[in-house]
Amino acid sequence: MSKHLIHLTVNGKEHELTVASNELLLNVLRDRLYLTGSKYGCGVGDCGACSILHGDESVLSCLVLAVEADGWDITTVEGLADGDQLNPVQQAFLDNSAVQCGFCVPGMVITSTALLRENDDPSEAEIKDYLRGNYCRCTGYVAMIKSVMDAAAKMRGE
Amino acid sequence: MTVIGTDVARLDGIAKLTGKQQYTGDILIPGMMHAVLLRSPHPHAEIIKIDTSEAEKMGAVCLTYDDILINGQAVVYNERSVSVPAATYRDRTILPNKARHLYEPIAAVAADTEELAYKALQAVKVEYRVLQPVYDPQEAMEEGAPQLYDKVYLGDKEVDICNNIGVSRNISQGDVEAGFARADRIFEQDFELPRIYHAQLETKGCVVAPEPDGGITVWATAQSIHGNRQLLGRALNLPLSKINVKKIAIGGAFGSSIQVNTVTPICAALALKARRPVKLISSREEDFYSHQKYPVRFHVKMGVTNEGMITAAELSALVDFGAHQVQPLPFLGCVAGWFASLYQYGGNIGFHGTAVYTNKTPCCAMQGYGNPQTNFAIESMIDIISGEMGFDAIEFRLKNYRGVGHEFWGQGPTIRTIIKSCGVEESLLKGREIMGWSGRGRHTDKQGRIRHGLGVARGFHTSGTGGPKEGEVIDYSSAFIKINEDGSVDVVTPVMDLGGGTWDAIAKFVSEVLQVPLQRVGLSPTDTKSTAYDVCTHATRGVYCGGGAAYHVALEVRKKLLETAGRLLNEHAENLELVRDDDLGQGVVYVKGLRDNQMTVGEIARQAQINSWGTLQYAGSYRQKNCPPCFTTHFVEVAVDTLTGEITIPKVLIYGDCGTVVNPELFGGQLIGSFGRGMAYTLYENLTMNEEGGFTTKPQAASEPIYTSQPVKDGELLNHGALADYKLPTSSEMPLIENVLVRHTDTYEPTGPFGAKGIAESAIASVQAAIANAIYNAIGIRFYRLPITPEIVLQAIQKKAVK
Amino acid sequence: MGSRILLSDFAYLAPTTLAEALQILAEKQAVKILAGGTDLLLRMKLGTISHVDYVMDIKHIKELNYACLCDEKQCGSTANGAFCIGPTATLNQIAKNGDLSRLFPAQREAILAMAATSVRNRGTMAGNICNASPVADSAIPAICYGAALTLQSRRGKRIVALEDFFRGPGETELEKDEMLVNIALPVPPADSGAAFIKKSRVKPDIAKISLGVFIERDGTLIKRCRIAMGSVAPLPLYVQKISEGLAGLEMNEQLIAKTAQMVKAALKPISDLRTNQEYRRAISSVLVEEGLRLAWRNAGGELK
Ligand SMILES: Cc1cc2nc3c(=O)[nH]c(=O)nc-3n(C[C@H](O)[C@H](O)[C@H](O)COP(=O)(O)OP(=O)(O)OC[C@H]3O[C@@H](n4cnc5c(N)ncnc54)[C@H](O)[C@@H]3O)c2cc1C
Ligand code: FES
Ligand code: FES
Repeated sequence: MSKHLIHLTVNGKEHELTVASNELLLNVLRDRLYLTGSKYGCGVGDCGACSILHGDESVLSCLVLAVEADGWDITTVEGLADGDQLNPVQQAFLDNSAVQCGFCVPGMVITSTALLRENDDPSEAEIKDYLRGNYCRCTGYVAMIKSVMDAAAKMRGE
Repeated sequence: MTVIGTDVARLDGIAKLTGKQQYTGDILIPGMMHAVLLRSPHPHAEIIKIDTSEAEKMGAVCLTYDDILINGQAVVYNERSVSVPAATYRDRTILPNKARHLYEPIAAVAADTEELAYKALQAVKVEYRVLQPVYDPQEAMEEGAPQLYDKVYLGDKEVDICNNIGVSRNISQGDVEAGFARADRIFEQDFELPRIYHAQLETKGCVVAPEPDGGITVWATAQSIHGNRQLLGRALNLPLSKINVKKIAIGGAFGSSIQVNTVTPICAALALKARRPVKLISSREEDFYSHQKYPVRFHVKMGVTNEGMITAAELSALVDFGAHQVQPLPFLGCVAGWFASLYQYGGNIGFHGTAVYTNKTPCCAMQGYGNPQTNFAIESMIDIISGEMGFDAIEFRLKNYRGVGHEFWGQGPTIRTIIKSCGVEESLLKGREIMGWSGRGRHTDKQGRIRHGLGVARGFHTSGTGGPKEGEVIDYSSAFIKINEDGSVDVVTPVMDLGGGTWDAIAKFVSEVLQVPLQRVGLSPTDTKSTAYDVCTHATRGVYCGGGAAYHVALEVRKKLLETAGRLLNEHAENLELVRDDDLGQGVVYVKGLRDNQMTVGEIARQAQINSWGTLQYAGSYRQKNCPPCFTTHFVEVAVDTLTGEITIPKVLIYGDCGTVVNPELFGGQLIGSFGRGMAYTLYENLTMNEEGGFTTKPQAASEPIYTSQPVKDGELLNHGALADYKLPTSSEMPLIENVLVRHTDTYEPTGPFGAKGIAESAIASVQAAIANAIYNAIGIRFYRLPITPEIVLQAIQKKAVK
Repeated sequence: MGSRILLSDFAYLAPTTLAEALQILAEKQAVKILAGGTDLLLRMKLGTISHVDYVMDIKHIKELNYACLCDEKQCGSTANGAFCIGPTATLNQIAKNGDLSRLFPAQREAILAMAATSVRNRGTMAGNICNASPVADSAIPAICYGAALTLQSRRGKRIVALEDFFRGPGETELEKDEMLVNIALPVPPADSGAAFIKKSRVKPDIAKISLGVFIERDGTLIKRCRIAMGSVAPLPLYVQKISEGLAGLEMNEQLIAKTAQMVKAALKPISDLRTNQEYRRAISSVLVEEGLRLAWRNAGGELK
């Protein structure tokens, strides 16, 4: 086992912490930074509940060592809204009643946000493709897909 | 304007969207320990000895069978407590002294970190006496098969278990033989449904904090906080007043937490022993082995006249429920009920159900409690008969279905109601227009590589388990509602919202009754100490029963409000009017016809306080005296690739009858989400297990090498409990969103709050048969088993072509 | 049973130069290279990997991160040059590259058919290849395009054709002290085209079966053809004999059907929990037919 001093910027806040080589980023975010919005759903990259943003890219924090994330600029679901102002994806999810139990939702809005940073006018097929790594057992996805389309339209000023 | 039937942002929406909603796993308590479970590596074994000394030297606290004894005796219970004790089989303890399925927890270890707990776990030594397992339910009943139990309890009685038969039930009505004798043709067919897994996104977990008074505070993945509390009280021998189970959001349930999760009593016992808070969260792999959906083998027999009347029907069901009873008794009753309530069958019904212990993961309810299983068999059968006898499948259904005025069995034979609202006819007639039923063609007309087919099936579920008479199942709910001194309202309900929007419905009912703006209705965070009993959010009872209780309590508060207003306005309460005033953002009360002499609800409440008359509040329990069915109809279009056997669903129409639609978008969410799960059940999901070491080792169906990167233990799931190899549909598998059509029927349930009944579980009932019927329409091949995978389809297509 | 945490006890190393990395490989025992970690960490969590003492993260080695056209001949490129992929280039980084998309559309498709975007933001093609699973999607079209791998150790460099790299499930040409340092995809000539097809249970899943085809066309004749298949053998399979036998033949539906039957007859797939051997065999011919047609069309050929 080795120990490492790492620096993380999470939701704009800088953290310096010592981690063991086998600590996972998801568990550091949840248990040490108390950012429990990112969820454990499978631990093996299959459900997307642990998705976070590394810069503008979505990443599964259950498959990243904390030490690998040294120097990263991370946004978790807690960091998407600007104060009380939800980001367009979150707002569209709320407006379209796309949330049920909510457990997949942090990962889903993170991944959708990454999509819209990359492509501000995704087609339905592109959205489905982009979200295909995020399981939702409750909703059947339809309201979520619609929400992403609505959010994109809003971001384009339509 | 009423808030009922409008779309408003759900109460917990912002919390869930910003990551601030707490779930059980998010609870962090300073000084908390982390627990992990030691699980049996054998599917069937006596535990001779457990040595935890090395683990304890590492600073761990361990829990074994010996720790759970109270006066030398282990408390035997059933995790599911919604049935009355006399109809509840009890066969399990917090930890067992015999493992009855692979990976059954047999000891628990808590330490300062999860990592340390795992390391300590590896230091625990267990001595087993390995026993022969039995996996197949038919084999389990054979002479000489390994016995999982000698004795269990039914209520307070000890009962012997013979040939592993846990429960058998025979239920009949009318004269089945005479009915068959009247038929022109008799149809018989077998159907089989697999074991599947809930795959709720939050794995089961629990956090327990011991309190200084010797009590405990509990956060758990639960569909019923009171169910958890009562079981913990019994299992730990603690007064209920010392157990506080907190209401906390749950990340999906689908029935998996109607019963108290296996981890919960273990975690509580461990926390009491450690005298420190303990957190125990299942890994996904463990969760796969905790509970699964009931697999069923059916035999269906129906008699039909040439005029298209079903004269009698008989259903046999063989259920393999695994190592513990999480209530196959009411399950069998319900299967009989769903079967009996679909069609009239000339009043002649026979049901024979047998449920058998096997060395597998215990089965529990999963959206529909036997309903999707039964519906697949019956609604496939209806399609078969229509085809064979040349009836139109919709007309045949309309002739035979049970609708208004007929009896509905809401929870087996002891909970019955008369149907008062029914959207079956509307959904079938309108649906066939929308989907172009008459143009669907016969499979013999279809050509080309990709063949399309249209199928229909209809189903229902109960709304709650209430009824005019009390039966096998407990059903009532409670609420406490008070008007605050500024006119805002607090609602305290024990009812859990599993994500469907139950709390929003409750808030809307209260808003409507008390004429307070919805924004001023708050749902209190609460727990078992400050609420009266609610049985559980199961059986699609949240809105109808939980909401019904809140509705009735709100009516009492309204009565008090008007009486108090009368005192202040010098008028009889009957002469007063209560309306919402959106400009004031409040309810106002005035003397009928005299709008200028009015008081706001806030002023009334405040005056009641200043005058020391007391708070405008009421607490009460309420039982619904009916269990109205909510109906659904599915029209599904499939496209079958005849070269690869792949099936896609280009279009679906889902009709739901929930009476008054309280939350339209959430209603749609229930129907579409259920469709997704139904699609998964029909086309993808299956828990395949390595059954090599079973009682009579049959040669494998195909003598082919099974390659997996890991060896598979006897009794182990081939996917090793990994979600990666348990495929659920993703966003990419769903039809185009414009082709997912959702409609509601124009119905009103007279016994429901504002005409509402439930919807949730009904929404999956008929998905399976609708897809299978559509496949038949596309390629002329009938599938009697789920899942209908490309492998099975292609094989069937090739076989048919050879013929 | 423990996908919640990573239990293994290892030291994390993060060399910043290739030389340093090669030294570590040469000197230490039980070292595992960490690229995106989407295979390695998963297997360490599930305990399906042998003992690991050191995890060596190569993402801090700047010189290894590239995905671009290159004309250096030493990477094994041909006359037309090659598209070179460094071992830490992520799958999405590769797929988003304009040159790759233009010159190797089937490679792009195969990469985009893998997992989902968040996995591809971390996972690498080098990792996919070194993991040496018979399902490795990115390896299938790469074999068809004639990819060459550069393996390097302190002892030196060698170039190995991708199809010769695999030895069996999880087993490769790599010596203990060696590392994959470059993947070169030779730029295809004009009049060539390729195709990739994958069948899986759901879209982001591991393949039940996959197919890659590359065809170089000479009028109505096949000049050169390379067919590769995933998930039908213990390793990503280059269907060498049958592919080579197509050279010089006239392309038509009969040839397509015949080739598909030959491939089907030659395969000895196994059953696993994704599908069974009968199915793999049954649809192999469907895939081969589709793939040949598609590649031919992409090569500018016509079919009547
Ligand atoms: C949810 C999920 C879905 C997936 N879906 C697919 C799929 O559809 N198709 C598919 O093919 N794969 C799939 N994978 C597997 C995996 O994502 C890919 O194989 C990926 O390309 C691996 O790259 P990596 O950089 O993450 O590899 P790592 O995990 O970092 O490494 C993989 C192996 O290669 C070794 N290695 C890495 N780089 C080198 C090097 N330069 N030299 C020598 N050895 C090296 C490592 O030591 C390790 O043994 C999936 C994985 C997950 C988690
Ligand atoms: S928890 Fe990371 S993908 Fe499921
Ligand atoms: S809302 Fe429950 S899993 Fe998506």
